[in-house]
Amino acid sequence: MVPKTRIARTAIMILAAARYAYPNAKVRALRSRRFTAQDRHFLLETKDFSSFLAYLATTPYGRVLPDLEDRIPDPGVLERQLARSLMEDYAKVTRSLRGQREQELVLALFSRFESENLKVLLRALFSGLEKQTVAHLLYPLGKLSTLPWDDLWACNNPAEVADLLIRNPFGQALKHAIPQFNVQGRLFPLEMALDLSCFQRLKQAISGLRSRSDRKAAKRILGPYVDMLNISWVIRLKIHYGLSHEEIVNYSLSGGELLTLSHLHRLARAEDISSFMEQIPRSIQKEVVEVRDWEDFHIYLEAWLLRLIARLFAGPPFHIGIEICFFLEKEMELTSLITLLEAKVQGLSPDKTVKKLPIQFSGVAHV
Amino acid sequence: MFRPVKLTRLTVQVPEDQISAVMAVLGDFRLLHLIRVEETHLGHLGYVAHIDTSLLEHYDRLLARANRLLREIGPAGPSPGIRKVPRPDKAVFRLEEELAHIEKEALEPLEREKKAKNAISEHEALIAKLQLLEPAKIDLDRLHDLKYVTWRAGLIPEENLNKLEQSLVDTHHTLIPVGRKERRVVLLAMSLKEDEEALLRALKSAFCDPLELPPGIHGTIEKVLDRKSSELEHLKTKLTGLDTEWAELTQKYGTRLKSLREEILLAMQLLKAQAKFGQIDHTYLLTGWIPIALFEELKKRIIKVTSGKVLVDQVDPEDIKEVRSGILKIPILFNNPMLIRPFERLTTLYGTPSYEEMEPTVFLAVSFLLLFGMMFGDMGHGAVLCGIGYYVFRKMYRYIDYGIILMECGVSSMIFGLLYGSVFGMENLFPALWMHPMEEINRFMVMSAFLGIGIISLGLILNLINVIHQHRYGELLSTSGLAGALLYWLGVGLVVRYLLSGGLGPFEVIFAKVAAGALIILMILQRPVRAVLAQRRTGKKGERIPPGLGGTILESFIEVFDDLLRYLTNTVSFVRVAAFALTHAGLFIAVFSLADMVRGIHGGGLFYWVTLIIGNVFIIALEGMVVSIQTIRLEYYEFFSKFFRGGGKPFQPLLEEE
Repeated sequence: MVPKTRIARTAIMILAAARYAYPNAKVRALRSRRFTAQDRHFLLETKDFSSFLAYLATTPYGRVLPDLEDRIPDPGVLERQLARSLMEDYAKVTRSLRGQREQELVLALFSRFESENLKVLLRALFSGLEKQTVAHLLYPLGKLSTLPWDDLWACNNPAEVADLLIRNPFGQALKHAIPQFNVQGRLFPLEMALDLSCFQRLKQAISGLRSRSDRKAAKRILGPYVDMLNISWVIRLKIHYGLSHEEIVNYSLSGGELLTLSHLHRLARAEDISSFMEQIPRSIQKEVVEVRDWEDFHIYLEAWLLRLIARLFAGPPFHIGIEICFFLEKEMELTSLITLLEAKVQGLSPDKTVKKLPIQFSGVAHV
Repeated sequence: MFRPVKLTRLTVQVPEDQISAVMAVLGDFRLLHLIRVEETHLGHLGYVAHIDTSLLEHYDRLLARANRLLREIGPAGPSPGIRKVPRPDKAVFRLEEELAHIEKEALEPLEREKKAKNAISEHEALIAKLQLLEPAKIDLDRLHDLKYVTWRAGLIPEENLNKLEQSLVDTHHTLIPVGRKERRVVLLAMSLKEDEEALLRALKSAFCDPLELPPGIHGTIEKVLDRKSSELEHLKTKLTGLDTEWAELTQKYGTRLKSLREEILLAMQLLKAQAKFGQIDHTYLLTGWIPIALFEELKKRIIKVTSGKVLVDQVDPEDIKEVRSGILKIPILFNNPMLIRPFERLTTLYGTPSYEEMEPTVFLAVSFLLLFGMMFGDMGHGAVLCGIGYYVFRKMYRYIDYGIILMECGVSSMIFGLLYGSVFGMENLFPALWMHPMEEINRFMVMSAFLGIGIISLGLILNLINVIHQHRYGELLSTSGLAGALLYWLGVGLVVRYLLSGGLGPFEVIFAKVAAGALIILMILQRPVRAVLAQRRTGKKGERIPPGLGGTILESFIEVFDDLLRYLTNTVSFVRVAAFALTHAGLFIAVFSLADMVRGIHGGGLFYWVTLIIGNVFIIALEGMVVSIQTIRLEYYEFFSKFFRGGGKPFQPLLEEE
């Protein structure tokens, strides 16, 4: 119900301030540990992998790096180690939130990482690999994840995993996907089911928020985020996997703001980049007008999302959107860092590397 | 009863070709505790017998087959028992033949049962699918006859329905929701045949769980359901018929199969027991402990089955060097009557008595029942315990011993209930033959203390017997020996004298002081003196005083002081018997008061009796548990600690019963 009087609005604002003062202060403090422009410059300009690591050790990510004295760590292992900082931040922010529904929203966002670990587990089961062989691919979820990981690793097949998780949204999604797994004989349906269930949970968590301003703020950032992901997925499923438009529509995520199913269907049927661009809603179209290659879409879309995040941070602070924005921003920073890491391992020059990075690393600061 | 069964060591030397026959005889006797060859000099030299592994593996396979048949045929009830222990090398042929015969008869019904069960589960799965589609009221023949349209049925998650609809927007299609099941929609999807691939792709990506019907199904779903349901009934009837066949097989072969299984297990145990034998070339050597009373008969039978080609010998334990030096322990075989035998569990819970010690089970049993009865004296509660014990005895074979103990405790409680005049806490139904505990608290506490004195004294006497029997004469002068016992009894005597006459005469006081002083000095000095004597026997010339003598004297002093104090505390500890008896009575008072209060509030008799019943159940459970624990504590800590050293070896018969 929209408050009609100024007193009511003020009271709501005071209550929101009381609810979010501490979590927001926590987020601002954690956000201060982002890469500075100087960090981005020097990380990009380092001449090889070892000097990249040496500089990285001087940044806030340095504390999650293993001991670098004797040998260069495996990049594959390092990627997941770097994510520990993000996982710890999830735990800290969740603890700082008082409301259960607000916590559920953050946990729904966090569940994407649980989903990744479940995918690794399913692949290991399918291939007959032991946990130790694939441990380096697992996110260090910590105590925030309440899934029974030890029992899950003791399962013999995906059906057992689904049974064990039956009270969890993951388990229900897996259970629905098991028939197709049995028919197709591959893990793809299970992995898609896990991804889709995360966003279904996210959508339900947003609807479950009590405060109207929280729901609005959450949709304001997560709606475009889902739209961004949907566009990227359409491209990935279409170009890299060669799926049909029927499949692409069915594998799309729910909870987007601007892209409807109809949009997604038209995008899936687009033959080339220009017809693809025409099907994108106008408000997003202007963000990707300079795209020339399929690979470039996500760079421009991430820049667009970063601008939205910046606007939310600059606006009224007392809502759950601040926490969501922090996590998404940090995830994008982490993704960029990993891209940079891989480029250094491959020995790519800074000029070639910068083309793979979002605009925040190219020196044009948006925040 | 007071000593374990007297054993003798048996030695048998038998040629390899006769070992099986000898094993069969030994198996018949069962009461043979084999000595592992590793514990003998033969074992140290490496002459360990080999098990016939191929024969053992054959028996393993027979056992697996017998178990499988038993699972299928499944006769219930206890094992029939084996009258004659088989010769493993010979019996294997007969067992193989019998099993094969039973398998042949059981094989055919087994196959039919398997087929019937498979058919039933297929029918049930099909019926479940048809029931999901039933609301659509479709005619399958008409669906199959469609020339230009293709269709699929399946379950789709609810949340995917909109996406599925959108994904098929370019094709001519229709999606008909038929029903719902567990957050999924039962869907009938149809499209033109030319769009079949698109339909399948869309359904696949929408996580469709296909409801596929087998070919050859015609008619409306309703009619097909009726048909399949009646087929299912028919199959179930057929399976029931098979059950009758199984029942006949069970009756015909069930008991024999169990008996065969037991023979196989026995033969395997005998074969495995050979690992404990010694072997030199083609001669087996086995040693073990056997009751003396059985030796002659065993010898006769072994000689008979081997036609004299065997050497059987026995040696008394006292003549065995390893036994005298303590290297080899004689196992203990309990020798108690049926009513006392269950208490062996409580004895072995503390420790296994050694062969030379007095066997304490009978003393434990009598004192346990006495203490329990005193603390839990009530006719009604005793009867309930008896009833529970009887139920356990009859229905729970594994806990039969505990059932007997419960019954005996119940009887003891009933006897003391009679003495206290108490039936479910009501003391006005008949007069007490002895006393009401709550009315003579002091007297009851004194009685408990004297009961404790009696039990402790018994412990001291048993210790003296053990000391003399085991020739540990040096301990006679210790606090746990004769000196300590005399001092204790002197103290008790003085207390009794004081209580009876109200005072002690001067001569009595002087005598007590002198005697006590002398005994205490003896107890303190006995260790240091023995140390000095030992030093003189074994020490170097000129070194008469052992090092640390001062410390030994101080230790001895503190030890004596501690032990004497413990005598006092152990005696006083028995006052808890009175305390718990009073608690028992006190709880009754509480329950009756509560029942009266409830009757006062609710005004009806029903609540009064309900409160009384619940209260009594609570007292039986809580007090029963507490009193059992306290009794065991008194037995172990106050009684057993006076004489029980333990460290014995339990008797392990050759063949363990299942």
